[in-house]
Amino acid sequence: MAQILIDGCVLAASYALIALGITLIFSIMRLLNFAHGELFMIGAFMVYYVYGAWHLPFAVGLLVAALVPALIGAGFEKFLFRRVMRIATREENTMLLAVGTAILLDNVALFLFGEEQHGVPETISGVLQIEGGFLPYQRLLVVVMSLVLIALLLLFVQYSRPGRAMRALAQDRDAALLMGVDVDRTSMLGFAIGAGLAGLAGGLLVTIQGVNAGIGVDISIKAFIMIMIGGAGVVSGALLGALVLGFAESVGYALLPGSETYLLIFVALVLFLIVRPQGIMGHPWG
Amino acid sequence: MKTPALKRRHLLAAAGGAAVAAAGLARPAIAAMKTFRVGVLGVMSGPDAAWGLHNKYCAIATANMYNEAGGFPIGDDKYGIDVVAMDDQLDPKIAVAAAEKLTQEDGLRYVIGPNVDTTALSIKPVMERNKAIYIPYAFNKTLYTPPAENAILGMIASYEAGPIIYKYLMQTKGIKTIAFLAANQPDPLNQQQAGVAAAEKLGLDVLVKDATYQASATDFFPIVSPIVKKKPDLIVFSGVAPATAPLLIKSARELGYQGLLSTETAQDIKILNEGAGKYAEGFISVGGASTPEIRSAYMEDFVKAYTKAAGQWDDEAGTKVYALEMILHTIAKAGPQAIGDSSVYKAAIGSFAMPNPFLKSASTLRYVGDAYFGQKRQIGVPMVVNEVKDGSFETLFVGSVA
Amino acid sequence: MMQRFPALAGFILFAAVMLIAIPLLLAGQGYWLTVLTTAALLAFGSIGVWLTFAIGRINIAQGAFALIGGYVVAILCTRYHTSFWIALPLSVLAAMLVATLVGWPILRLRGVYFAMITLSLTEVASLAFLNGGSFTEGASGITSIPRPALLSSSLAIYIASALLLLIGIVVAWRFAVSPAGAVFRSLRQGEELAASLGINIARYRLLAFIASSGMGGAAGAMFAAFQQNIFPTSYTVNDSVNFMLYCFLGGLQSVAGPVVGAFLLVIAFQLLSAIQRFQALLYGIFMIAAMLFLPNGLMSLPQLLLARRDRRADAVPPR
Repeated sequence: MAQILIDGCVLAASYALIALGITLIFSIMRLLNFAHGELFMIGAFMVYYVYGAWHLPFAVGLLVAALVPALIGAGFEKFLFRRVMRIATREENTMLLAVGTAILLDNVALFLFGEEQHGVPETISGVLQIEGGFLPYQRLLVVVMSLVLIALLLLFVQYSRPGRAMRALAQDRDAALLMGVDVDRTSMLGFAIGAGLAGLAGGLLVTIQGVNAGIGVDISIKAFIMIMIGGAGVVSGALLGALVLGFAESVGYALLPGSETYLLIFVALVLFLIVRPQGIMGHPWG
Repeated sequence: MKTPALKRRHLLAAAGGAAVAAAGLARPAIAAMKTFRVGVLGVMSGPDAAWGLHNKYCAIATANMYNEAGGFPIGDDKYGIDVVAMDDQLDPKIAVAAAEKLTQEDGLRYVIGPNVDTTALSIKPVMERNKAIYIPYAFNKTLYTPPAENAILGMIASYEAGPIIYKYLMQTKGIKTIAFLAANQPDPLNQQQAGVAAAEKLGLDVLVKDATYQASATDFFPIVSPIVKKKPDLIVFSGVAPATAPLLIKSARELGYQGLLSTETAQDIKILNEGAGKYAEGFISVGGASTPEIRSAYMEDFVKAYTKAAGQWDDEAGTKVYALEMILHTIAKAGPQAIGDSSVYKAAIGSFAMPNPFLKSASTLRYVGDAYFGQKRQIGVPMVVNEVKDGSFETLFVGSVA
Repeated sequence: MMQRFPALAGFILFAAVMLIAIPLLLAGQGYWLTVLTTAALLAFGSIGVWLTFAIGRINIAQGAFALIGGYVVAILCTRYHTSFWIALPLSVLAAMLVATLVGWPILRLRGVYFAMITLSLTEVASLAFLNGGSFTEGASGITSIPRPALLSSSLAIYIASALLLLIGIVVAWRFAVSPAGAVFRSLRQGEELAASLGINIARYRLLAFIASSGMGGAAGAMFAAFQQNIFPTSYTVNDSVNFMLYCFLGGLQSVAGPVVGAFLLVIAFQLLSAIQRFQALLYGIFMIAAMLFLPNGLMSLPQLLLARRDRRADAVPPR
């Protein structure tokens, strides 16, 4: 029982960073970032190279894990999405571009990094035992750091000027324009931060999961599930979605030995979305 | 000495391409040297790219070794070897198209691959129809059982290795209970079922027989903890991919599991060490000819040639070194006619034998498989069972398949 | 939509190439026939997705219906020794039935929400067939599906697929110019407005979705007979996304779009196989370039070029 709780918490915390990133991008640009998982993967690879292969401090690795995906995200927004959003006649075109960016990053990563699985040495070793459950210190570290980063992000979005601009943009794009918000810059910043969060999540999780060039798609799908559950475009929704998915997995696997768990998760998701398409916390959005 | 794979891969992307090109041009300019073309079909992109790429690089390494020595002798001529590689992306539709291209358009009669049941079964009608021999690394028996006759299993099947490993562990470590965990994919699930059947037949108590995880799973704690809770003597990771094995091992050990861990697929020591660190100690897997204490000088040369072509050596490739050698030597025995006619090749299978060039101690390579398929449609590779000791593979024992 | 090139002439040309030129030129070439068969069937499935685009929905569920169609054929032809020609319409019916049941509640959703639900549906289908026990044979899939009578050669299968595609094009096309098609267009432009005019939008939406799924089922059924096997992983989210991509790449304005998109990408991928190492990478780059410079699809290219030519011709010097 304790193990189920521990696992649920660890999963939820790690997933939360991913969910927040994709929610941020969605709230500002109404765009589902299909490449989110790939940005996560790139962040993980950054930590692998900086910390695992070149033996620089882990903190430096995390910094690079945030910066590189952030730069890629900013680049995508400025050179790809901004242009297409202006000239496309249908809203699906941006979604398609997002799919294209995901395919591109997947293949570039495979080309640059190779197909092998990689891992990094632990930053803390040892396992804590609580009430019969096992919690490796590395996982505890990931949880703590995730919570810290989430808190920092929330503070940033709530109190800083760019953060307020992003919230304004998310609430009402036209009104924000009228109020003098620089839409282009704010969008770029939002995409960069969202991408950076994905990269950070990857960088943190590589210490417990390793990385290979193929994990992008699956992380993206998990991200989608979370914002579908919690509600796209709402921060509380993202956190809720992470909680629900994390615990659904941990409880599910404990009760059902295998493939049925994910089948049930998906069926439950579809039924839930039929009843409440905007997710738990989302605003109805057609 | 660990150079960052990033820079290396960039350079070796070019080098790899050049090596392939060079392989094609490396035939000495002796007038009228003939060419033997062999196909490689497998998954070469995406998360499972390692499997197909290992096939490709093994074939290229063997080809390069022979080409640099002046060609491979078949009949009175020496043949330069040309490897034609195609990526099936694990997609049966693409595999079928590629198989048609290789056997029809390119006129090849010998193809190494594919890697899994879905793609192998998809190309079976094409290969049987075009009378081309293929060397799959998939275990589905219908590929190799009559009326099918053109597939030759290139490695040890899990349902062959499993019983032998479990019996060994029963005798040496006294295991009595066993649990199985597989990825939710056709090949691992089939291996899980075969493993459970074998364990039950041996009298082991199977505590968990159908635990699975999504192929996309990244965190294995919730998946492994229910199994660890039951405290089996041995947990078998059926058909586990080299990328997942270290994560499963680490999860099991961090959860306090003290028993044995094993699998019947080939693993890679680098990946195991990187991902599981000290927890990999004692992990049992099926290997190829690459453990240092059993490999011959020829194998060392092969590893060098492979590294030159691929950029780095992968232990999982150790199980795939035999395919091209067997093809070449069988053709040599059957005669040059076999190059264009697979029935000549098949006729030579029954009595074929050659000394195993990759192992230090003397052993013979034959075609086997009568017991499982009713006909000899498997390369009789030695079954090398490894254990991880102090960060490298150590041979636990070497067995064989009937 | 002013077509400089009469659409009918274009279709007749296409049909002639597919049914006359290709069989004549490529009769013995199993490889290219296989590639073109694959392209034709994928194009057929994509036309279905195009129909759902026509009512303003992003449909990422076509893979699920291909799976359903494929499994119906597989189970009927192997276990119950049914003739393929009976199993084929049954598989279409099965797909349509599921589409009716599932479509009814989900079609009122739009945009990203509908897309995400359909994506989940593809996963559900794959997982359901994986966990179907002895009925679907789970992970091992169903193999050794017998080749249908009359379709034993690559050429015969190609011609059947080409015919199916042509029929699909005609049906979709007639539909687009029919009153129902006009309703679809109005749905895409403004559902509330259409509803206010008294149109039973739910019925029309469902109709489009059922038609789309039927086509997906037929494509899956044909593939199963052609490849002679089916697995739960035969169609994944990737395949569903591909159907969508073919539509986009070709352009959503007319039914020619998905056909062009499918043929182009399938053939391009095969041609790239010569440079195996860079195949997937170039594919990705090509996709992005297409998105960037032709976001309305390839079929918009002629119009774009013509428009540019006209603009230059009429260019008024700045005052």
